[in-house]
Amino acid sequence: MNYLFFVVKNAIEDFKKNKTQTFLTSLGIMIGVFAVVMLMALGLGLKKYINDQFAQLGKNTLFIVPGKIIQGGSFNVAATLQSVKFDNRDLARIRKLRGVEEVAPIYSAQTQVKSSKGSEEGTIIFSNEAFFEINGFKIKIGRFFDQNEVIKRSKVVVLGSKIAEKLFGKPDLAVNQRLSVSRISYTVIGVIEPEGGGGFGGPDYDNYLFAPYTTGYIFNPQKDFSRIALQFDDEKFTLQEIKDSIIREMLKRHNDDSFSLIEPGEILRAVNSIFSILNFVLVAIASISLVVGGIGIMNIMFVTVTEKTREIGIRRAIGARKKDILFQFIVESTLLSLFGGSIGLGLAFLLTLLVQRFIPAYIDIYSVLLALGVSSFVGIIFGVFPAKKAADLSPIEAIRYQ
Amino acid sequence: MIILERVNKIYHIDQEFTLHVLKKVSLKIRKGEFISIIGPSGSGKSTLMYLVGLLDRPTSGKILVEGKEIETFNDDDLSSLRNEFVGFVFQQFNLINKLTVLENIILPTIYSRKRLDFNPKERALYFLKKFGLEGKETAYPNKISGGQQQRVAIIRALMMKPKLILADEPTGNLDSKTGLEIMKLIAKLNHEEKITVLVVTHDIQVASFAERLIEIKDGKICRDTKVR
Ligand SMILES: Nc1ncnc2c1ncn2[C@@H]1O[C@H](COP(=O)(O)OP(=O)(O)OP(=O)(O)O)[C@@H](O)[C@H]1O
Ligand SMILES: [Mg+2]
Repeated sequence: MNYLFFVVKNAIEDFKKNKTQTFLTSLGIMIGVFAVVMLMALGLGLKKYINDQFAQLGKNTLFIVPGKIIQGGSFNVAATLQSVKFDNRDLARIRKLRGVEEVAPIYSAQTQVKSSKGSEEGTIIFSNEAFFEINGFKIKIGRFFDQNEVIKRSKVVVLGSKIAEKLFGKPDLAVNQRLSVSRISYTVIGVIEPEGGGGFGGPDYDNYLFAPYTTGYIFNPQKDFSRIALQFDDEKFTLQEIKDSIIREMLKRHNDDSFSLIEPGEILRAVNSIFSILNFVLVAIASISLVVGGIGIMNIMFVTVTEKTREIGIRRAIGARKKDILFQFIVESTLLSLFGGSIGLGLAFLLTLLVQRFIPAYIDIYSVLLALGVSSFVGIIFGVFPAKKAADLSPIEAIRYQ
Repeated sequence: MIILERVNKIYHIDQEFTLHVLKKVSLKIRKGEFISIIGPSGSGKSTLMYLVGLLDRPTSGKILVEGKEIETFNDDDLSSLRNEFVGFVFQQFNLINKLTVLENIILPTIYSRKRLDFNPKERALYFLKKFGLEGKETAYPNKISGGQQQRVAIIRALMMKPKLILADEPTGNLDSKTGLEIMKLIAKLNHEEKITVLVVTHDIQVASFAERLIEIKDGKICRDTKVR
């Protein structure tokens, strides 16, 4: 039986004796740790989700969009509302650049889509055959449309898995069926694998329809595009070389501030930094409850010191030094706080398992270490003052205390 | 072994009132003595005993332990001396109720910084057996009788092989028969182990176990006689 065993056993015996008080005292830390860990879990889940979404786009992908979207490292929201558009001549010029492998023009429309089974509001993306490859889509049933069909302005459409289900009951039943988009009849030629997007600001491709851009001119008499996606040869060319040559080409027809080049990595960094800040702020706010919990512990520890005055006197009489008493009470408050922290962590763990079915969330090892570390720290910090009071009691007064 | 020279103890109740509890008390405690301190309630007996036991410091005057003045000792030094040199026995037994009998007995060895020349648990079990408390080691103090508790307290006091045992009304909470047994036990420690003993009491029968009787009245030693 050694020193530490005695100190810890002593604290645990006290907790057992006052179960209700122990629980109530550690409640503050419990809630604090629960809130902090839960927020971190949601933040992490969200971040991972967004990163996964972007991971589908290869690192050799670039977008040309209207306006200056990113300025000095931050999003310029107003820019996305600018009306500058690109046209077929831009497309042809970009396609001719060295290193550019695939180019896809993109514009979209919000329309009513009708099948024999029913009618749905849907977004239709008009592009070319390269769009599928650039986005890394995989076909589930049927096929994508090809270059020939784009040139011939074939009225064919590829469906996202969810909209296919909504319109035809089952994705398998959709192929070769007809549907009408703004009273123009299209043939369904394929359904893509679920992408799992949407919900958190990303495009929900599973609910989209995809058709050759040439067939969409009826929605778009000016024949212009709101975006150009491209893929380049990243073995022979660097990202910077490609960017430079695209910018040079675009500047021949456009102002500097009327277009931007976006690489997925750049968006990812911006989104990640926003999320990190947001998450940090939330966690910082939740940490206030940890401080409140710590004060609760301090309060009860002061009461405990008074209750144990006589015990302190006995210990001092048989040879305990001030530091022994100090240590005993700090261990007690630390265990109290750690107890609350562990339960808070356990609750957060359970809730995370529960919400994982609906929204992304997960607890990593750092959250666990942080939760336990912070609760020990709170216990030590807020235990110091009561423990100091206990250690500084005069032995004679303590032993005479009734 | 312990010498008190003109020791005063004054309590400051508040800014106006002070209580002069011990008045220029001089006392020499020799090795192996068995001393009783008797006197009326409030005369300062416990105060004197706690000063001898190094739980407190005098307001003025000198206390020497084995020739060294305690003024030169810091709080840790006094704690170590209480741990190794002195063993306390109290009227209210002063055991810690959430610890078992065995843990209570071992507690002084936990706080010791000295290398022990014995195994604490073995020593504790030896005394428990010797004092008729075999099998009580895992019991909790509030579950055993007063006489048993006082014997546990005595074992605790003996654990660190003290030179001096200080007992403040050790029989005060016991019936007279059990009290007598406890006093016999303490007397035996004095005779057989040669441990110096100082017992505070106002019971003349308890005091009669001692070989030296010190009477204290109103903070002053008024009589100091060899009885045997
Ligand atoms: N911390 C203190 N502050 C103020 N007065 C105190 C303090 N401790 C003791 N006293 C007073 O000092 C006086 C002597 O106390 P002490 O306990 O030494 O008496 P005693 O002789 O042991 O009495 P008893 O036989 O009742 O135990 C008492 O009047 C007591 O009230
Ligand atoms: Mg007394």
